[in-house]
Amino acid sequence: MAAILEIKGLKKYFKTRKGTIKAVDDVDLEIEEGEIFGLVGESGSGKTTVANIIMGLYLPTSGEIKYKGNNIAIPINKRPKWLKKEIQIVFQNPASSLNPKKTVRQILEVPISIHRPDAPLPQTIYELLEMVDLPPEFIDRHPEELGGGEKQLVAIARALSTEPSLIVLDEPTSSLDVSVQGKIINILMKLQKNFGLTYIFITHNLSLMSNVANRVAIMYLGKIKEIAKSEEFFTNSFHPYTKMLLSSIPVITEEEEKLKPKKILSTGEIPGALKLPEGCSFHPRCPFVMDVCKVKDPPLIEVSPNHLCSCHLYLNKQ
Amino acid sequence: MVMENGKILEVKDLAVSYKVYEGILKVLRNVSFYVLKGEKIGIIGESGCGKTTSMKSIMRILPTNALLEGGEIYYKGKNILKISKKEMTYLRRHSISMIFQDPSTALNPVFKIGPQIYDIVKYSSDRRLTKSEIHELAISYLKQAALPEPERILDSYPFQLSGGMKQRVNIAMSLASANDLLIADEPGTSLDVTIEDQIMRLLKSIVEEKHLSIILISHALGTVRGFVDRIYVMYAGTIVEYGPTKSIFSNPLHPYTRLLIESVPKLMGKKIPEGIPGVVPSYLNPPLGCRFSTRCPFKMDICEREMPQVYEAEDGHFVACHLFRKEGS
Repeated sequence: MAAILEIKGLKKYFKTRKGTIKAVDDVDLEIEEGEIFGLVGESGSGKTTVANIIMGLYLPTSGEIKYKGNNIAIPINKRPKWLKKEIQIVFQNPASSLNPKKTVRQILEVPISIHRPDAPLPQTIYELLEMVDLPPEFIDRHPEELGGGEKQLVAIARALSTEPSLIVLDEPTSSLDVSVQGKIINILMKLQKNFGLTYIFITHNLSLMSNVANRVAIMYLGKIKEIAKSEEFFTNSFHPYTKMLLSSIPVITEEEEKLKPKKILSTGEIPGALKLPEGCSFHPRCPFVMDVCKVKDPPLIEVSPNHLCSCHLYLNKQ
Repeated sequence: MVMENGKILEVKDLAVSYKVYEGILKVLRNVSFYVLKGEKIGIIGESGCGKTTSMKSIMRILPTNALLEGGEIYYKGKNILKISKKEMTYLRRHSISMIFQDPSTALNPVFKIGPQIYDIVKYSSDRRLTKSEIHELAISYLKQAALPEPERILDSYPFQLSGGMKQRVNIAMSLASANDLLIADEPGTSLDVTIEDQIMRLLKSIVEEKHLSIILISHALGTVRGFVDRIYVMYAGTIVEYGPTKSIFSNPLHPYTRLLIESVPKLMGKKIPEGIPGVVPSYLNPPLGCRFSTRCPFKMDICEREMPQVYEAEDGHFVACHLFRKEGS
């Protein structure tokens, strides 16, 4: 499979009065066509910043970002029309990402008429509603008349309306109750299969991630700490941070309990982004910290086939 | 004080509604639960199911548009819905305390932590404390909440602390007045997983050390499972099932509980849960019978007409569902 999105040495620094915040610091990613790529991390780890750069909402400070070989480090208002059609996003909170004054028809009409001028209206809208499993009578409703899950489905229909290849899903179910989450995820998976879409799936919910992603990358303070195939990531993780995160998840069955790495108890806090620790940014919380961790940031290397990890513990084992 | 069968708190048939522009929201109906001395109970349910309203009723801090339409709340044998405001204030200062979901809105942003915690320490003591005694006590509470450098924390504004630290400060404050019962309303929900894990472990050790009773409210089933002795499951303002934590998870009885547990994505992967079809009914016009009847796959005729009674299905495990109706009752 070919890479649909290539990110190399991506950096995004925000200058504030108090200093520079390194929101994304030297990130390399290759996302293959047709895969569901998971990006996990706690708040402030930079996952949404990466999403915003892909969408053109931020310009990177440095680094390359290529979509099918074309440079896309272009702000959204200067992006060519074909590019806007190709990459779409679904945000976390549908209540704030849908215009409350517009009806579902108006919300879906605009992207269709711009990007697919030949598509018949309103049939195309009805087709979209059917794809996301919403009844046709919703077409003239306002977002406030819909439930949280239904609103998110309208947002998904809007992302689909341009017939994109790549969709960024930024915490698409985090604001929803667990009983409606399942329906949304199942619809997303069905659409991905039917249209061969590529997803970048961002979430902090690791249990959910294990059910959807093909590959998973974990971020901590703007850096990628580990990338692996989903099965590997959840059964045989390398990085101490990944293990700490996995052992912190509250689970509900004995079976899951057995999957969790037992030994690593969560300690310490995520340091402020203004004053990052020297060396490996995780070292103040790491139970296996060595002297070298405090001075040198470990590179992201391939520890086993297709399994990358950035940790001094594995640096010599190549 | 009198306590029936070691029950420190007993809520009986609580009914609360809210008056809004559109009409009357009939939220809580027939809500009954109890907490034993030193017991840890959990109340789980999805957003808007009445968990927080129940707790606010206990603390008597319901908003002004709330209508208390029935029920009794016995705390140490006394109906606290009937006691005077002064007595209630005394309880809040000396006996019951509550930790809220969002640690940043629970603290006053324009005051340093010091004066906020001093006030609580001062008023929760039976005698007049000197300034240095108050300071010492405040420091000791912060230390119990595992906060490093308590002196610096006292001299900080809330915005200078991280979310996890703010929640620890809230726990420290509640320690001053919670001598018997602690109500924790989603204490880790707004925090990151690794931090939530730390906060929950801290709460557990404090509660066990001080032999406090605790009501833990959460929508996250996993969090509750690792923490409490007994669980109450709420749906749309009613309690649908309760029993020991282990049997709720190993043998859920109410269709809602079963579907809810199935809806949680599991760490093993491979299978995306289906979720529960339909939506929660509106409180403006809730179903006459069982409130889950609009979404229940096992719905019978009776479910639409009558609210189910509570049946004991196994030892200590109760369920409010017509499926468990015994012959002749």
